[in-house]
Amino acid sequence: MTTPMLEIRDLHVRIEEENKAILKGVNLTIPHGEVHAVMGRNGSGKSTLSYALAGREGYEITDGDVLLDGESIVDMEPDERAAAGLFLAFQYPIEIPGVATMTFLKAAMNAQRKAREQEELSTPDFRKAVREAAGKLSIDTDMLKRALNVGFSGGEKKRAEVLQMALLQPKMCILDETDSGLDIDALQIVSEGVNGLRSPQRSMLVITHYQRLLNHIVPDRVHVFSDGRVVESGDKDLALELESKGYAAFDGVPA
Amino acid sequence: MNIQTPVRLGPAEEKLIAQLEGAGADALADQLRARGLPTRRVEAYHYTDLKMLLRDVPDLPEPGEAAAAPALRVPGSYRLLVADGEVQEVGTAPAGVIVSEQDGPVLSERDDPIVGVNRALAVSTLKVRLESSVDPVVHIDRRATGVAGHVVGSVLIDVADGASATVLESCSGTEEAHLTNFATKVNLGKGARLTHIVVDLSGETVTRFHTLEYEFAAESHLHGLVLNSGSQLSRTQIFGTVNGEGAHADLNGLNLVNGGQHCDITMDLTHAVPNTTSKEKFKVVAREKAKAVFQGKILVAQDAQKTDAKMMMQGLMLGATAEILSKPELEIYADDVVCGHGSTCGDLDHDAMFYLMSRGVPQKLAESMLIRAFVQELLDPIEDAELNEALSGVVEDWLAQEGQNLSA
Repeated sequence: MTTPMLEIRDLHVRIEEENKAILKGVNLTIPHGEVHAVMGRNGSGKSTLSYALAGREGYEITDGDVLLDGESIVDMEPDERAAAGLFLAFQYPIEIPGVATMTFLKAAMNAQRKAREQEELSTPDFRKAVREAAGKLSIDTDMLKRALNVGFSGGEKKRAEVLQMALLQPKMCILDETDSGLDIDALQIVSEGVNGLRSPQRSMLVITHYQRLLNHIVPDRVHVFSDGRVVESGDKDLALELESKGYAAFDGVPA
Repeated sequence: MNIQTPVRLGPAEEKLIAQLEGAGADALADQLRARGLPTRRVEAYHYTDLKMLLRDVPDLPEPGEAAAAPALRVPGSYRLLVADGEVQEVGTAPAGVIVSEQDGPVLSERDDPIVGVNRALAVSTLKVRLESSVDPVVHIDRRATGVAGHVVGSVLIDVADGASATVLESCSGTEEAHLTNFATKVNLGKGARLTHIVVDLSGETVTRFHTLEYEFAAESHLHGLVLNSGSQLSRTQIFGTVNGEGAHADLNGLNLVNGGQHCDITMDLTHAVPNTTSKEKFKVVAREKAKAVFQGKILVAQDAQKTDAKMMMQGLMLGATAEILSKPELEIYADDVVCGHGSTCGDLDHDAMFYLMSRGVPQKLAESMLIRAFVQELLDPIEDAELNEALSGVVEDWLAQEGQNLSA
């Protein structure tokens, strides 16, 4: 049997600040090249899952393991996880005044290359890569001269996330509510950007609570999330079933 | 009723008294003997207790030792070297710059021991008169040379009506426990524009006092920046009187401190006439056991209607042992003014750190990116590209002291 891209084994996560167990035994396996969706109502622990996978401080893994391409990442710092090929597209990308987007992109790309013992990108190569990737996402290069995410519209922020994904070439992408805050046109552009990155060497975990996004990014598998664990898994039709029946039919909790 | 308890004098005070008497400043010597150096009970020195902090005063320097390469080099600038308070090199002044020396103190008399010592002991004053629009940066390179000395120096910058210039003062020297007491008096003529930068790159055992005094004529405009990254103990005093209508003062400071440094900026600005504006922005990045002090006072006189003054202090505290003390004050006697002040202190933004690290940026590099972003606002207004780069270099050098990765 081949090693899956991401294997989440009986993952238990507690949020330290609230001293509250949020994930209560998540099991999820994503093979190479597949796109899986996690759907769940608000508060079911979907975002906790994404933060715990990316290694945010305050999200304590109390039990279980996460393997990325066969290697445990739970003891790694967020930057080491990124260098290992994990990427989280944030639901709410952080605004960082004073750090120009281009400066940030270059630092991120070169830090990852360094961690992988690759040579630093030359400035012309870097600029060319950004120009090409930005063009595909209809990103105005003027936007990239501004401070990171500062004053970006909701749509611009999400496109900037996908731009980073395209440039960093991760093998495992987690998209946390990428559809939130997007109008129909922006959703189209972002989805095309994501679909353009689908490849046999890259897997994705799409977290959403609407089926809408999954019309654009069609998943191989759909998992229903409730109270910190996966309660049902199926193919893409499960998302449609969920949309018509509601979450209550799956988790037994009244809407 | 006034009960005098005799003050016990320490070795630093004894030495200072002897030096003052040697210079014929008997009144000041007597005053120091009676009061001692200011302690925390003196409000202006509450956070910088000189009696406790100033352990020794080295001898006045022997003249004549040549200084080594400048600590800060700005290509294309006109550099004047002042070593141990004496003018050593003046070179060929560019058009619009007249350099001379004059006797007598430059600072106004005030009840402050740092000012008093400077007035009594300054050997001579370097006078830089800026007559017109001066293109190159005028770099006053102040040095303490040789063995540890009590270096007292004074500079007068006179900006003629309608003239404009950029003046950089850098303070540096040998790695000895110097005590430096510098004064800079700036007179801004009518409609004059000056960018005035003071950078401290003194060695890590130096004690440094620097008093800046500004006078503003009508419609004049100052952009000031004090950047401190050197010295063990330092106090920069900024006194300003906005006494010309339509004048604007932009006073900024950046303290980059680590180890056991104690770095104080104390500002006292008076808006004396109507229709003047000022903007003060002071930032601190403190690491390890360093202590940074900011005291900022804006006084708006009764006549100074329509004053618009905004003062802000922002501190970045890296680690649990660093200390930032901030005391903003407004004293307003006019009734039609817009004045405000704010003061914030905090750690690096955790969300921003996580975001950067989630993209593969290692912790140290992410920290230095955010520190740069924090200080950048103070460097951006420096228009001269070479000077801007030199000041960025000071920030980079400070970041590098922490062994950080600066490859971004």
